[in-house]
Amino acid sequence: MKTPNDSPIKLLFLAPLVIWIGVMFLAPLLFLLWVGFWHIEAYRAVPGFSLTNYAEIFSSFFTGSRYGWALLQSLWVAGTTAILATAFAYATALALAFAVPPRLQRAALLFAIVPFWSSYVLRLYAWQTILSGNGVINSLLKQAGLSWKFEVIYTQIATRIGLVHYLAPILIVILYVSVLSIDRVLIEAARELGCTRWQVFTRLIFPLSRFGLLTAGSFAVIVSLGDALSGNLLGGGAGQSILGKLPTYASMIMSDYSSATNLPRTSALATILIVVMVAALVAGVALATAARRKVSQ
Amino acid sequence: MTKTPIDPRTTATTSGGVTRRDVLKTGAATAAGVTSFLYFPRSAAAAEPLRVLCWPGYEERDVIEQFEDTHKVKVEFKIYIGGEQMLQFFAQTRPGTFDAIISDAEYVTKLKAQGAIDEFPTDGFDQLANYHPKFLDFKPTMGTTEGSVYGIPTRFSFYGISYNTDEMSAEEAGDWHSLLLPKYAGRLGMFDWYLPNMGNASLAINPGNPAPYEISDDQLAQVRDFMMKLRPQIGMFGSSNQPIAQALLAGDIVASPTGDLDIDLKLAGYDNFSSTIPKQGGIRWQEVATVCKDSSKKDLAMEWVKYMTQPDVQSRLVYTKAFKARGPNMKIVEYWDDEQAALLSYVPDPDTPGKMLVETLIDRSMPRGLPANQPEQAWIDIYNEFKTA
Repeated sequence: MKTPNDSPIKLLFLAPLVIWIGVMFLAPLLFLLWVGFWHIEAYRAVPGFSLTNYAEIFSSFFTGSRYGWALLQSLWVAGTTAILATAFAYATALALAFAVPPRLQRAALLFAIVPFWSSYVLRLYAWQTILSGNGVINSLLKQAGLSWKFEVIYTQIATRIGLVHYLAPILIVILYVSVLSIDRVLIEAARELGCTRWQVFTRLIFPLSRFGLLTAGSFAVIVSLGDALSGNLLGGGAGQSILGKLPTYASMIMSDYSSATNLPRTSALATILIVVMVAALVAGVALATAARRKVSQ
Repeated sequence: MTKTPIDPRTTATTSGGVTRRDVLKTGAATAAGVTSFLYFPRSAAAAEPLRVLCWPGYEERDVIEQFEDTHKVKVEFKIYIGGEQMLQFFAQTRPGTFDAIISDAEYVTKLKAQGAIDEFPTDGFDQLANYHPKFLDFKPTMGTTEGSVYGIPTRFSFYGISYNTDEMSAEEAGDWHSLLLPKYAGRLGMFDWYLPNMGNASLAINPGNPAPYEISDDQLAQVRDFMMKLRPQIGMFGSSNQPIAQALLAGDIVASPTGDLDIDLKLAGYDNFSSTIPKQGGIRWQEVATVCKDSSKKDLAMEWVKYMTQPDVQSRLVYTKAFKARGPNMKIVEYWDDEQAALLSYVPDPDTPGKMLVETLIDRSMPRGLPANQPEQAWIDIYNEFKTA
């Protein structure tokens, strides 16, 4: 006897997924990878297979154009942003799940993700107004009679603020769902067996949230690596971090793309970033899978 | 307004074989899907309008209305931001889609290389008699025969120094080397494009060089040294005017080698901003009107190019909602009130009797070009090194 899953009709139901992935993801990705092997003749991109773009990029990875330093800046900014954004979103998700009465949780979640409804660029401009030298924060400090200035605009701290604001609503949803799936009976049992609130958190809630945290963190790293807007508008294009005044790699790709008639080289630069993103994703998935396995044991 | 570029167009098959356009035509469904929005609707094609690919401003009603009424034709515009984007839009449309293009002067070289535009004689362009002489050398839009050109200048402005007059003196703003003063460390904003910045650096080390992009390798090394000295002074890079103007207003920076940001700031009521071109010279951007080779309405396109040379049209073009600039036709000033003339420097220069201030600035400026003696990438590598230093 055939089960519903053996029916040939299931292929039809798979079609939208296959078309979506094929048309919206794989085809553009393969096209991008392909263009990276083209070359330029008389300001025109000419199809072919040449490793020249990659050879040139890697020969100036730490000298000349120094793409490598920009990539390190991106990894540093993206990594720290992911930690900050995930921590903030986790705290919010915990508050939503455990401190807000169940009947109000949906409304509270809605309020938590409200920033996502406004334009990302508008939010960045708003942060510019808040963080700038004569901005809201410094005006308030001045009115309070303080001579100290909060100088984070055009640094990578400002870049992170913009990114955290962008990421937080998405991460909150991911982590709220993750925290909500924790069996309340386990928490009640732990409490009845004498665990303190802190012990319940460290020995039960946190380990059971690990999968969600790693998923959220990986997502945050990937989005932060690819974002150029926050780095350009709030980070000033080459904001200061502990690594120095360096642009992010995504910002350099944008700058290169808008500077010269060289789509193949830009595609090669973008491909390198995609490889780094995939590595981050694979690491994240591996860690999350290991965390899930550990919990289920 | 400062301008940035983006990527290439291919119409004819190169000696190497297939071009990107061919690839798009023959199978890259994704690319075709992505770019199809750039095609004009078929209903519009039926009405036979004139189609122009241009920077913002040309499409504004005040600018184009008179032409449409005179020639009883509709003009459709596709707006781009940046020369490279212009090339990309052109590459992604069928040959003959556009009848005319407003191009940055140096991008004419790229349009010519791709066989996108036609040369035409300047006979019959009566208004050229009123153009400032510096725009009549037609560099780099000169045609292959005597008296013919690939493009006629329509709008221009400068990449001088915009500065906060409370923080920087006019004397300091008049010298590129003032930007290196220790007091300006971290207090300058820069438009994020190698071409104008390295052109200005080229002039800083070779004052008055009429061809700042045609320099030797040794001179390019000096440009690099100047850029490296400038790096600690840069507090932020902006990908357009807006973030830089915002930073000037907020006091985060005090000056920027990004042209005439003061115009919009003054219009907004901030009188403590000014701009100038340093004594060593500064880069000038200029747009030119060109006619497309594959256009089926070349005569009408030529009429539009002529229309764009008129002083009354240019007076409105350079004072649009999009942004403020300057016009090469010196009669333009007759169509403005005193306030507009003063704002755009079409007023007597107190230091040079018999000249308008804008003429002095034009004399001191050199047209933006493309690197002539080195590959573009060599210049971009130096700029990237500067940015990551």
